[in-house]
Amino acid sequence: MRLAGNDIVDLRLAATESNWMRKGYLQKICSEKEQLLIRESEHANQLVWLFWSMKEAAYKIHSRKTGQRTYAPAALETTIQTLKPGCSSGFVSVENCMYYTQSEVNEEMIHSLASPNPSLLKEIEVRISLHQDGVYPDYASTNPHSVSHHGVYLALIYL
Amino acid sequence: MNKEELLSRLKVIVSNYTQNKEALDSINEDTDFLKDLKINSANLVDVVLDVEEEFGIEIDNLSMEKMLSVRAAIEIIENKLHEAGRE
Repeated sequence: MRLAGNDIVDLRLAATESNWMRKGYLQKICSEKEQLLIRESEHANQLVWLFWSMKEAAYKIHSRKTGQRTYAPAALETTIQTLKPGCSSGFVSVENCMYYTQSEVNEEMIHSLASPNPSLLKEIEVRISLHQDGVYPDYASTNPHSVSHHGVYLALIYL
Repeated sequence: MNKEELLSRLKVIVSNYTQNKEALDSINEDTDFLKDLKINSANLVDVVLDVEEEFGIEIDNLSMEKMLSVRAAIEIIENKLHEAGRE
């Protein structure tokens, strides 16, 4: 199935927009296993947003597939298989569906790709651009497969 | 608590997170938190937590699943208040 989703998190904006340390917050977006990993991590902030972007990228495909809109981030269970400086790969499982993910991670942003077909991840063309004023160019004519924007970042993917 | 009062208290909460102030002015039961108010999906959790605090209720993850619009939110709040015997 040629389906893919993407999600970008501007870490600077996330730091001002969301306080994931707020009481009850993590319990609403993460599974027990994810919460434990976050509590034990030295890079808790990056891990929270890595999980989040994996979930969002997978959700974009899952909701397209099922035709259902729901808000259940904790039900999308992430697994990180490899975590190297700058990149990570893993998968997200939800309702017996599995989506493979590949993420780019740095100090400024986290970008995740997800697809039910792991080999497709290598074929995806990713275009990430920076827009300091928060005004994004008109990209509709380029017909991207999935769009994500947050803060100064616009991330488009093409199959 | 009637629907109007509920909606006005909900409006105060979502105003902290909405990125489309015009849609906020014309908020009604059909308003969608993400599509219309352009609330960031990571902030929808804050809306849920604020609703819990404001109304003294607990919104389990199963109820939260549906909380994408004003109509759904009002229904959930009403049900939770009803369960607690505090209509």
